[in-house]
Amino acid sequence: MIRSSFELHDRCCRRGQRLWATGLLLLAAGACGAAEIRSGEEVYGVSCGGCHATGVLQAPKLGDNADWSKREQQGLEVLLEHALKGYKNMPARGGNPTIKDQEIENAIIHMLVSSGIEKYTAKPAPAETAKTSATVASVADRKPVPQARSSSVNSFNRLMKSKEEWNLAPPKDGIHDPKNEGTHMLQSPRTAFEVLVSAKSGNRVDWVKALEKGEIAPRYDRLDPEVKPVVMDLNIVREVKGSMPDVVYPHKQHTEWLDCSNCHPAIFIPQKGANQISMASILLGQKCGVCHGKVAFPISECRRCHSQQKPDTVETVNKQIN
Amino acid sequence: MKPGVTQVSIIMKVLLLTIGLVLIAAPLQSKAEYGDVLINNYSEDAGMRPVVFPHWFHRIRFRCKVCHADLGFKMQAGGNQINMLKIIDGEYCGACHNGEVAWSVETCDLCHSGLPGMSTQVHKSTASRLLSGANKKQQESQQ
Repeated sequence: MIRSSFELHDRCCRRGQRLWATGLLLLAAGACGAAEIRSGEEVYGVSCGGCHATGVLQAPKLGDNADWSKREQQGLEVLLEHALKGYKNMPARGGNPTIKDQEIENAIIHMLVSSGIEKYTAKPAPAETAKTSATVASVADRKPVPQARSSSVNSFNRLMKSKEEWNLAPPKDGIHDPKNEGTHMLQSPRTAFEVLVSAKSGNRVDWVKALEKGEIAPRYDRLDPEVKPVVMDLNIVREVKGSMPDVVYPHKQHTEWLDCSNCHPAIFIPQKGANQISMASILLGQKCGVCHGKVAFPISECRRCHSQQKPDTVETVNKQIN
Repeated sequence: MKPGVTQVSIIMKVLLLTIGLVLIAAPLQSKAEYGDVLINNYSEDAGMRPVVFPHWFHRIRFRCKVCHADLGFKMQAGGNQINMLKIIDGEYCGACHNGEVAWSVETCDLCHSGLPGMSTQVHKSTASRLLSGANKKQQESQQ
């Protein structure tokens, strides 16, 4: 543990990101703390209800206005202190040391409100007082109150990358070291891709179309730009189990880029029916997955391979309808 | 239903779920370009930054066949035992990075430009997202 902490620290230092790391940790801790404060009702249900629902051990019973009024006259502070430190039969924090102070207070208010003590029905949560005191209707169900109407929380595509985050320049891409001088001399993919046919995934470039249209002219020989590839135009249809359309494998587009020896015979035995291919193996980087999911278009582009409707599907559906 | 068929359908469901998770998790990954290979077989142990190989840059200029058939690059990140001696002798990267076709070995930091602490991997590859631990070293270093 100690060793790994040192390693982590060492790495952070080396990357000059100690402050970043600390900041992130603090942020994370803050976020966790804030998220974990439970409502009074929730805490009551888990802990307090054991005694306060039935009134065992002289506990004031939920809903008993007379019982609670008597205690409430001492003031919320006293009730809170009793609950936190214990009082008579009441154990400290209801016997559960993990319940936070704020949660205990929430639970007390929940019990007071549920027992008809009206004084507390309009009391806003302390944290919310400054911003939304006027809009809080009831404290009984302390739901988080939205802070602004135009909150970005509910904007579209929260988890999707924006266009500005695609094809970042090397110093910003998270794998190049911005402190390295050479990093700043490297070409930015965005600049390179501006003139190429775009796609929805991968590099956001349709490499096959870019080649077809002549937008790029990659060499087939290391030195001679005039050498032309040996293109083989043969489609292989692979029948697929389940409901997905059959796979059409085009030799043409593959031989534009590759040599036969890249795939045959190590990855695919050049013989019909000799290759067992499953999506599982592809996802794990075997068979088609040697390139697709790494450099060639990603596996999320299902229909680019599963492109041929099964011959019997239309008939079967028609039969079912009739 | 045959037991075999049930198993297949369960496997399919798990697979679809996995693909879903991968797609959801995709934006949370690094911002590196799809297909960028980070090679740290020997670099950091020798006191150099790891190497970043950008597939996109090279495929604009060469077809896959040139490196993966003619030059003998295996299609596996870290699967080629490349060292500087081989490069200087004209093997692997050195077939082009010789000062004639592309920049030569003197410009160390153009290739050795990766962030220290990262392990050898293909960035944004489906397999590395699925196999737990494949990105562990990188995630640790980013924390």
